[in-house]
Amino acid sequence: MHVAEKEPEADFEPLLQLEMEMGTFLSDWHHCDQLSTFVARMISHNRTDPVRHSNFFSSALNELLEVLFRGGSPDGQIGCAVYRQGPTERVKLTFPCPPRQRHFLNEAVAKARRGDALARYLDSISADLAPTRDAVLLDLAINFDALIHLEDSAPSSITLVVDLPLEGIVT
Amino acid sequence: MSSVNPSAPFSAEFDPNSQEFSLAGVVRPRSADEIATSLSTLKEAIEEVRGVLYINVKRLIQMNNTAFHAFVRVVLDACRARSDLRFVIITSSVVGWTTRMFAHLNKLEPQITVEVYDSKFYPGQNFVENTSFIPILRTQTKMTWRHERAILPRHGMRPGIVMADICCGIGDFAVLVQKEFQPARIVALDHSKASLAYARDVAAGFGITDIEYTYGDASEMLLEDNQFDLVTCRHSLQIFNRPDVLLGELYRICKPGGRVYITNEKNSHCLGEPRSQSIQWTYNEVAKLFSHFEMDVELGPKSRRYLVDAGFEDIIVETFMVTNLDGDPRDFADVIMAWEDVYAGEMAVKRGDSAEFIQRFRQGFQDHIFAALHPKGYAGWPIWVASGRKPL
Ligand SMILES: C[S@@+](CC[C@H](N)C(=O)[O-])C[C@H]1O[C@@H](n2cnc3c(N)ncnc32)[C@H](O)[C@@H]1O
Repeated sequence: MHVAEKEPEADFEPLLQLEMEMGTFLSDWHHCDQLSTFVARMISHNRTDPVRHSNFFSSALNELLEVLFRGGSPDGQIGCAVYRQGPTERVKLTFPCPPRQRHFLNEAVAKARRGDALARYLDSISADLAPTRDAVLLDLAINFDALIHLEDSAPSSITLVVDLPLEGIVT
Repeated sequence: MSSVNPSAPFSAEFDPNSQEFSLAGVVRPRSADEIATSLSTLKEAIEEVRGVLYINVKRLIQMNNTAFHAFVRVVLDACRARSDLRFVIITSSVVGWTTRMFAHLNKLEPQITVEVYDSKFYPGQNFVENTSFIPILRTQTKMTWRHERAILPRHGMRPGIVMADICCGIGDFAVLVQKEFQPARIVALDHSKASLAYARDVAAGFGITDIEYTYGDASEMLLEDNQFDLVTCRHSLQIFNRPDVLLGELYRICKPGGRVYITNEKNSHCLGEPRSQSIQWTYNEVAKLFSHFEMDVELGPKSRRYLVDAGFEDIIVETFMVTNLDGDPRDFADVIMAWEDVYAGEMAVKRGDSAEFIQRFRQGFQDHIFAALHPKGYAGWPIWVASGRKPL
């Protein structure tokens, strides 16, 4: 239901695109931090407040990459593309995803879009367990005003599309 | 990925004297186990304090959900176990996501409140950050630039460098530097939203798109260590109540071997002829007025000491005098008029000065203008320029 048709990024300007072997990505936890810092800096330089935009963006992207890291298996490729439209950056993360995981991801995305997202987010903060993928997507929806959806890509992979209207929040 | 700077180191410290637990830097652990020591520090802090525990996250640059959750867990557990304890989380308006993330905690436990520290963080802030300072800054830079464009190369300014102008005000200095010296990159930081908005407009008006204007607190910057060849900070150590802290931050972001360049005044040394006595009286009073608001506009000659104490070497100090002969004397008069408006019209009023005092105070500015515009007159405003090199 939440897997939309692959829509061309017609109104979005492409800013950056990179690909990496999943095995390489998973070889070091710090890749999440390094990639998010690097990408954030690259795409923020012409925002109104580049330093703060980059800080905010890195925060969000790092969470997404950590989700992929924790759920990832060392086959296939991970792709990260960033687009821009007005005050919004669109992050598209493409990664291998077996059908079972696809289902859970679908559910998590659906929860982050629902009206009770804030209540669920507060529950996740006070929960005893370490934050789950669901909690991370809720965090993005609540603290970063992110709009999240999924797109089907190649048969065994999926694309997580996250729109982050950070320019408005930062300035 | 070798071009990526290492992340700012993470620290978690407890100061029992202020009952403050501080988190700073970047913390993105894979699991809570990696931050076990910091979590224990927090638990010990909770054991030790009475009444209130302040949790300072002003300098927390990045924190992932794993770490957030782990720290919050400790605090929420403590709220349940200790109804006598309150938690005040101190965030910064600069790091937007911390304020948003931590603000939720109050909804979970009313014992936890969140304060944004930099809405009122230094005594002169109200005067300096509102729009009334803009005419002062605009007229001043026009006058000082004539001198500084010749002085700057002696202090490390050259094409292609990476530089930062901290406390950039309305950003006109950054624009002038960009046009004259073509640095590879300029970051310009200030905590006045009004000035930054003005700065962005001015830059756009000049078709300049590559100055990175950023909102921040110069005494707690998000910028990483060791990245700039030259860090400039003009007329600002003197208006911040803790100049040593600010200078420490300038030192931190400067590259080893790079230089930090500061300019400051000694207002009581402003002078003019004729009517020198009235002028002198008023500027002595300017110094007192600023010190009432914990600003030291007599700082200029102390620059050398501040730079030595902050650890700089190869310190260069020079002075120049902006005068009515530097061009159109009207420009000089415009600076003084802008000062009179804010110093006599706002600050003295705020201090609660009498009408008689304010009238005499204004007269000195008027006499300074008179001297500046007088065909045989002379009027001056001295500035101290100083820079030091960060050791390799
Ligand atoms: C006297 S003005 C000088 C501005 C500019 N450098 C110039 O010479 O035109 C001082 C500036 O310092 C800024 N400032 C003071 N304390 C600050 C702090 N802690 N962080 C950031 N900006 C600060 C004020 O907002 C103000 O714009």
